[in-house]
Order: sequence, then structure tokens, then C-alpha cells
Amino acid sequence: MHVDTGLVRAHGLAALVTLLVSVTFGLIISIQLWWPDLGAGVPALSWGRLRYAHTQGIMLGWLANAFFAFLYHAVPRLTGSSVTSPRLGRWLFGIWNLAVMVPGWALVLAGVSQPLEWAEFPLVIDAFVAIGIVMALIQFVPPFFARGLESLYVSSWYVIGALVFTMLAYPMGNIVPEFVPGAAGAAFSGLWIHDAVGLFVTPLALAILYFVIPAVTGKPIYSHFLSMLGFWLLFFLYPLNGTHHYVFSVIPMSAQFTAIAASALLGITVILVVANLLLSLHGAGAFPKDLGLRFVVMSTIFYLIVSVQGSLQAFMSVNQVVHFTDWVIGHSHLAMLGFATFAAAGGLVHAWQRTPGVRFNARAVGRAYWFLFAGVLLMVTDLTIVGLVQAQHWQSGAPWIDSVVASRHAWIIRSATGILVLGGFLDLLQGLLTGPRNAEVHP
Amino acid sequence: MAYLAALVAGVGFFVTSVVWLGVWPARVLEEQARAFGPTAALALTASEQRGREIYAREGCGYCHTQQVRFTAADEARFGAPTLAWESRRDVPHMLGTRRIGPDLSRTSGTRSEDWHLVHLYNPRLVVSQSVMPGYPWLFAGSADQPKQSARDVVAYLESLGRARLLAASGTNEVVVVNPASPRRSGELPTLPPDPNPASRWTDAKGARGAELYTLHCASCHGPEMRGDGPGARGLMPAPTSLADRFYRSDRVLEALWHGVPGTAMPAWRDMPLADLAALVSHVQQPTALLREDRIGEMPAPDAAERGARVYADNCAQCHGPTGAGDGSAASSLPRPPTNFRLQQMSFYGVVGTLEQGIAGSMMASWGSRLSRADMAAVAHHIRGFFDEADRRSNR
Repeated sequence: MHVDTGLVRAHGLAALVTLLVSVTFGLIISIQLWWPDLGAGVPALSWGRLRYAHTQGIMLGWLANAFFAFLYHAVPRLTGSSVTSPRLGRWLFGIWNLAVMVPGWALVLAGVSQPLEWAEFPLVIDAFVAIGIVMALIQFVPPFFARGLESLYVSSWYVIGALVFTMLAYPMGNIVPEFVPGAAGAAFSGLWIHDAVGLFVTPLALAILYFVIPAVTGKPIYSHFLSMLGFWLLFFLYPLNGTHHYVFSVIPMSAQFTAIAASALLGITVILVVANLLLSLHGAGAFPKDLGLRFVVMSTIFYLIVSVQGSLQAFMSVNQVVHFTDWVIGHSHLAMLGFATFAAAGGLVHAWQRTPGVRFNARAVGRAYWFLFAGVLLMVTDLTIVGLVQAQHWQSGAPWIDSVVASRHAWIIRSATGILVLGGFLDLLQGLLTGPRNAEVHP
Repeated sequence: MAYLAALVAGVGFFVTSVVWLGVWPARVLEEQARAFGPTAALALTASEQRGREIYAREGCGYCHTQQVRFTAADEARFGAPTLAWESRRDVPHMLGTRRIGPDLSRTSGTRSEDWHLVHLYNPRLVVSQSVMPGYPWLFAGSADQPKQSARDVVAYLESLGRARLLAASGTNEVVVVNPASPRRSGELPTLPPDPNPASRWTDAKGARGAELYTLHCASCHGPEMRGDGPGARGLMPAPTSLADRFYRSDRVLEALWHGVPGTAMPAWRDMPLADLAALVSHVQQPTALLREDRIGEMPAPDAAERGARVYADNCAQCHGPTGAGDGSAASSLPRPPTNFRLQQMSFYGVVGTLEQGIAGSMMASWGSRLSRADMAAVAHHIRGFFDEADRRSNR
């Protein structure tokens, strides 16, 4: 068994660099909501283009790179065998960052893009993403088969599931709506909006949670039965959620009802999954000493909150009021910045501490944790409140601009929370670049 | 074997979701579109299509949805919910999931082209509190110098909801499809009575009126109501100078409630009635003083007779024999002619308008066709319509 630590380091650093760029985009557009002339009339600095670059960067730059770094650490440990090929690994790294991220951002900022949520990179970039996913599949999945699936640990199932499903879902969300018009195209978009989170981000984040908790506590997972039950339920339910992004639309009601019912069941399933994870902590506490685990535990708690919130939002009575408001933006930040980012950071920190020859600054990483924790909590609270304020204005029939004026102070506070988050990520970067060096060959 | 079955089951979950929530709804939507859509809906023109591409690349759809949902709040604000056939040709779709600005699926007919251009150049020129980015790179330096790309965007915006409006024309549905569009006539709401007319510009209502004026009106009509706000440049016809006119309440309310077709003045029907009343009162404030002050009216011995003659020869075709804006040619004009019985300009205001005309409207310049004495006499006559109407309503 060989762990390719070079690729752990390469993807880890690429993750942090793309993260800082993406967060900077996000911070700028949050400021533009209360200082709209900040872009100074430069097309590449206008809100819409930066908004496209922000979310694509978070998902494909930060999260995907962090997941890949974690997989290079975890797959050999889960399977007892090396990943398929170091050469393939270098190609995957190159394609993902130099043929997807860099040109993807450049094209979006230059005005070549598609107006599809979580799919803004243009078709030519989509092709390279699809190639990259297939390469990742070839890189990481065969070792599991070599070992035999009968004795696979739940993290392995999630890794296989994530890569297989993303390979299927990515073209459906990024390419199909370019050819299917109108509300029907939106139906496919809706599926992808949820699948991007539910079939790509969530399973890989859960693979990290299920991996790091027993690895640090040294004790087995509470219930393997619950693990597998959760796995199959999630993979059955997540794909059926997508239409809940278009409740009260012209999309057939039976499809909407299916998605709403699936959303409710999903919330219940997540309660099971999270219960299993928290019971597996065996008293490590909410803020454990091990830094990777500390991120992972908070990720688990965010996962519970965001999922129950998601179920709630899908119900028609709630959806009628909060849909289209900042409440939902709060929800998506709780998912991607809370749950997914804390999982990715936990997995990255965990892998980094166990990678020979790299520096690790525990103080800086500890600081990163608190900045991010405070930033996410305040941002989501702020967006949730202002979302309700906007909803109230819209329901009241007051002129539209009143809801914009009423949001101003909350938008300023939200930018301040964004600075906390950016500060947290700078600390994380410092944490992985400074401090004492790990021993060259880890015992 | 077991894991092959697992993989097949797993992929099966995905396929189930795509068929159930993607392929099947697409078929139902196509059937609906065929059943309810017009048989020959207009495709976008080349300009509108280019505008759509700019709209897409600039991320407009991330703050503006293009779907009116089947909810009470949406229907009240934006009109009839979006049907399957309306987005049938939209590739890729831009239904949207977030609103920072309003839904745009019923934009057609709600704003004039020049309003859209000024707004696109810098939204704060016409909507002072807007947070929308400006798009100056679609212009050659100023709001009144749009490049073709800016015109394309505006053409696209103007196409939004057009098919639905056309499909509804001739039916009662028109009003429902687009509640925000300016209208030439129709019922006006009854404003709450003023509890204390004597202090109406100094009490809380007066303060509210001033606040609303600054928020919503000053960007075009100017801080001093002289029609010279930052948005005025680029609007054609220019925003009215409210400072040298006196309006009856129902005239102001009409403009606010219906908008002024043929101009950049939109309808403000979404404002609460108490706020509308405060605005109506505020707009009347400076000119009420001006009305008392009749400086500069030049009396001439034959003014009354000459004014009536000049008016009948030159003005009555559009403005009507009694000044009610209902002349024989009025209905064919894009912008209704001024009703002099509901508003009164200062003497110099009338003479100035006669000399210069109103650019962007059908009001021509009369400076080369009428003598100074004729203009003075007809100005006197025109001002008289208001006084006469005022006397009648007070009787």
C-alpha cells in the first residue's frame, strides 16, 4: 500500500487557493449589495459574473480539491491498496485545476457562461469536468473492488456512490438544460441543484465524517446497520428532492409533491445518520482536542440543522413565504460553508497532520475553527432574519424597493461575517503552511 | 454478485429520479403547452435573442426570476401565474430561484424604452435606492448613448410577457396578466380624506409625503420638482416640472395610479393608499403657493376673445374644446394630451411650453407660428379652464 502524499499536498493547497479566491468573489458581491457601484463599471467585476465564479469556485475548486486530497489519504487506508495510478493522479490534478478552474473562471468573468445554477461554467469546461470525474472514478474506485465489496466500510460506499452518481448527474444538470427549454429544463436544473449537493458534496463529506470519527477516537462506529440504512436511504431520497426548488411553479404537482415528501423523509433519515455519528463519538465532546475531529463534529451538527431546515423549507406553507428570500441563501451557506466546508476542512486537517514532511500550525488551525464557526453562525442567523423581513415586505404588497431598503443593514452585517470567514480561511492556510514540520516518514 | 446488484440498484435510484422528476414532467409540460399555448407564438427577434444572451451572461436571472408562482402574493404583485407554454422556447430556462429585484416575466409594457436604458446604464439614476449594478459598458459614455447591445437587452425585456399579453388581448384577462402596466383610464381608488387640510404639509403626513417623494420621485422629477433629477437626462419626453404646475388631486392620483403612457412615468399602484395620498398632497405643495401668486399675467384688452379663437384654431383638436384632453385626435396619440381642467401651469410655464414644445411628445413648438400676443392670450385662456372647473366642483 502506498499513499501518494504529493497529491494530498497538491490538492490540499489547490483547495485552499481556490477557496480564498472564491470567498473573495463572495465577499465582493456581498458588499455590492450595499455598495452597488463597487464594480466601477468593469464587466469582470460586476455582480452577476462574480456570483457565477463564487459558487463554481466553492464547489469545483475548494470542495472537490479538498475531497481529492482526502481521498488520496483515505482510499489506501480503507482498501489496503494504492490508488490506480500516480500518473493518472497528476493528470487529474492538472485537468481539474488548469483545464477547469482557471479557464472556467476566466471565461465566466469574460462573459462566456451558462445561466444555470451550480452549472455556470460553459459547456467546453463541462466537458473537462466530466473527463475529470471519470478519471477520479478510475483513480479511486478500483481499489475498493480489489478488496471486495462484502467487507466495505460505510465511507467506502459513500465514495463509490458519490463518484458514480456525480458522473451521471453532472451531464444531466450541466448539459441537458442547454437543450430542453423552459420549465422542463428547470425540472432538470432542479434535480442537479440538489444532486450537486446531495450526490457529490454530501456523500464525500459523510465519507469524511465516518472516516475521521473512528480514526481519531479509536473506537468503532456506533451501529454499522444504521450506517448502511442511512446510506441507502440517502441515495434513494436525495435524487428525488430536486423539484422542491420549484414549488408552486408550473411543473406538475405530482412531481412537486414527490419532492416535498422526499424532503420530509430525508430530514428524518439525516436525524438517523447524525444520531449514529454523534453516538460514535463516545464522549469526545462537542469541541474535541483533535483539530480534524473538532471540525468534523461541528460539520455533523450543521448537517443536522441544515437538513431539518431543508425539510421544513420544502413544505408549501413555509416555501410560499421564504422562497426567493435570503432565508434560502442562509440555508445554502449553512450547507456549503457550514456542513460541507467543515467536513472538508476536517478531512483536510486530519490528512495533513498525518502527511509526512508538511508543516502544521495547530494554533492557526484552532483560530481558523473559531473564526469560521462564528462567521457561519452569524451569517446564517443574519440571512435568516433578513429573509423573513423580505418575505414580510413582499407579502404586505409594499413597493418592491422597500424590501431592498429594509435589507441594507443586514447586508452590511453579512459582509462583516464574510470577513470573519475570510479571516478563518487565511488562518487555515497559515495552519497548513507554517509551524513545525511533520517527520519525513510518519511512524 | 451482491455488489453488482447494489450498483444496479444504486444507479436505478438515479434513473428513477430522472424519469420521475425530469422526463415525465417534461412530457406533461409539453402536452400542456400544446393544449393551452397559442398556435403561432412569436419567436424572439434577432435583437431580442442577442439581448437574452447578454441577460444570461450577466447573471440577471440570479436576482430577477422569470416565473410568477401560483401564490396569492405573486399573483397580486406580478399577475397571472406563468404557464407552461410561456417558457416553451427559452433555452436555457431562466426561471430563477432568488429575487433581489422583482420578477420580470411580465415586463412588457410596464416601462418605456428610455426608462429601461437609463436604468440599465445606472439604476440609481431612476430608482434612487436600487442595488442593481449598472451596465455602462453597453453604452458609449452616457445613458442617452446606448450601444446596440443595450438596445438588445431592452428589446429582450420588452418581449417578456408579450406573448401572454397578446394571448389575453380582447379578454378580461389583460388586466390580470400585467397588473403593473400603465393604463390610459380606469377606476381610481378613493384616497383617505385629509384629517387636517390646514396643516397638511407640516404634519406627519406632510413629512411622509416628502420622504416618499425623495425616495421614489426625486430621481427623475428633481429635488426641487423642476423635472431635472439625475435620471431626467436620457428620458424623452423629459420628466414634468411639477414646480410650475398646480394639479388637482385626482390628476396626480391618475398619473400615479395609471402611470403616464408614452412617457417614462410608471404606475405606482403597489403603494399603500395612505402613501399615495401623502404624495398627492406633497406634489401640490409648492404650486399651491405659485397659484396664489399670479405675477406676470399680461392683461390685454381683447385677451379673452383672442385666446378662445387661437385655442379653437390650434389646440382643441387634441386638448378638446373644454380643455379636458379629449379632442378628436386625442385617442390616437401615444401619450394622452394634457387635461387643462385638472392641472394648471403657471403663466410662464404655458408660454414656455408653447415656445419650445415638448420633445418626445406630439406637442409641437408654436414659437414660429403664434405671435407673442397670441401666446399670452391663449395661455390666459388655457389657465382659465382650470379655474372654471374648480368653480364648478366647489359649487
